[in-house]
Amino acid sequence: MLFLRYYLWVVPHVLLGIVVIVSFRKRLYQTLPAFFAFAVFQLVQFLVLFTVTKFVTPSSIHIYVWLLTCGALIGALLQLAVLYELVRTVILSRTSLQRVLRPLFAFALAILVLASAVTSGSLRDVGRERIMNGFETLDFSSNLILAGMLVTILLFSRALNISWRSRATGVALGFGTSACIGLAAAALRSGLGKSAFVGVDVMQMAAFHVSVVIWIVYLFLPDRTPAFAGSGLAKSEIQFWEQELQRMTGQ
Amino acid sequence: MILASVIVVLAFLALFFILHVVKGHHATGRDLDQLASRLQAVDVNAFRNLIDEREEEYLREHLPQREFRGIQRERKLAAIEYIRCASANAAILIRLAEAAREDPDPAVAQAAEKLFDNALRVRLYSFRVVPRLYAGLLFPGASLVPSDLADAYDTITRQVVMLGLQYPTRGMSASL
Repeated sequence: MLFLRYYLWVVPHVLLGIVVIVSFRKRLYQTLPAFFAFAVFQLVQFLVLFTVTKFVTPSSIHIYVWLLTCGALIGALLQLAVLYELVRTVILSRTSLQRVLRPLFAFALAILVLASAVTSGSLRDVGRERIMNGFETLDFSSNLILAGMLVTILLFSRALNISWRSRATGVALGFGTSACIGLAAAALRSGLGKSAFVGVDVMQMAAFHVSVVIWIVYLFLPDRTPAFAGSGLAKSEIQFWEQELQRMTGQ
Repeated sequence: MILASVIVVLAFLALFFILHVVKGHHATGRDLDQLASRLQAVDVNAFRNLIDEREEEYLREHLPQREFRGIQRERKLAAIEYIRCASANAAILIRLAEAAREDPDPAVAQAAEKLFDNALRVRLYSFRVVPRLYAGLLFPGASLVPSDLADAYDTITRQVVMLGLQYPTRGMSASL
């Protein structure tokens, strides 16, 4: 079990390093800067936490937990930035109806923040330490907001029938996987208590592993909108269009 | 524990939804001929008549209350059907405009841009209007439909014709 936990902690971050390198080479920091910043931050956080675990003792464990909580807070803010980036690149930048659509997403975000505040307050504390409970609340809330907003964005683009570029789809799918499993994990930790900590942690780390693999796969795929097929316009069709235009303008 | 269980179930449902949408994104038919065959005819004038307040006022004045309510109900259901058709057509036109936007000819790309925005507008209107029409079934007296939906749909029909002169739209305007 110890090997599995180390594997799930180290390997996804090694793969995330590959994501950062490939993203840099493909200049993803220009098109998806928030996602690039998030990946870099996750790597830095991992390196810091991994180093700290080598020196931390049971009496100084609170340093690790504080670093973890601060990291989770910054990570949550960066995830919000990634969400905004997805909304902007997938929907807002492609239409002049930004004024109509922007408030709808802001409203959805406000509802989710409210829902996360109410739900996290109703969940049972995972321990006696305030900082640990604070971390759990933050983890639960950020995952709820992230999963909820992703569902909203996907629902919206599906309802409006807007297609996504493949790289944005990959980013959304990766975050969706990790956020949904993270949300379930946070709820299970609260519901089952300390006895389930290890199992739930493994589940959450495995989800992050899957997310990073999804990002890698989509990074190597060409970034394109879905291709359209069909025959060209025939001469008879052009004549038809001309007649049609005359009919309509004559109305 | 009940709340935690509910959250776990919702989280997995959200994950399945995300996977389903992404899978659909890869599988959606991009054949413009196939898309064009799914267009349904919408008579904008008939729709305008159905949501015309003067027409409604006329019926109210000339029909017994009970009969007026029955007819209004039929009119609103018909209007909902029209809006559904217009909305489905708009969804297809969004795809058509997306394809045309990639065209190297700036005139085509510009026409597609306008069509995309207006098709999106019709789609948004329809989400707003259909619940209001259903509410109108409960309160037959209330006027609940903005006429700008018909105007917006009219606009996209004309834009499809304009775009069709520059880009293969597969006889779509004939279906609109």
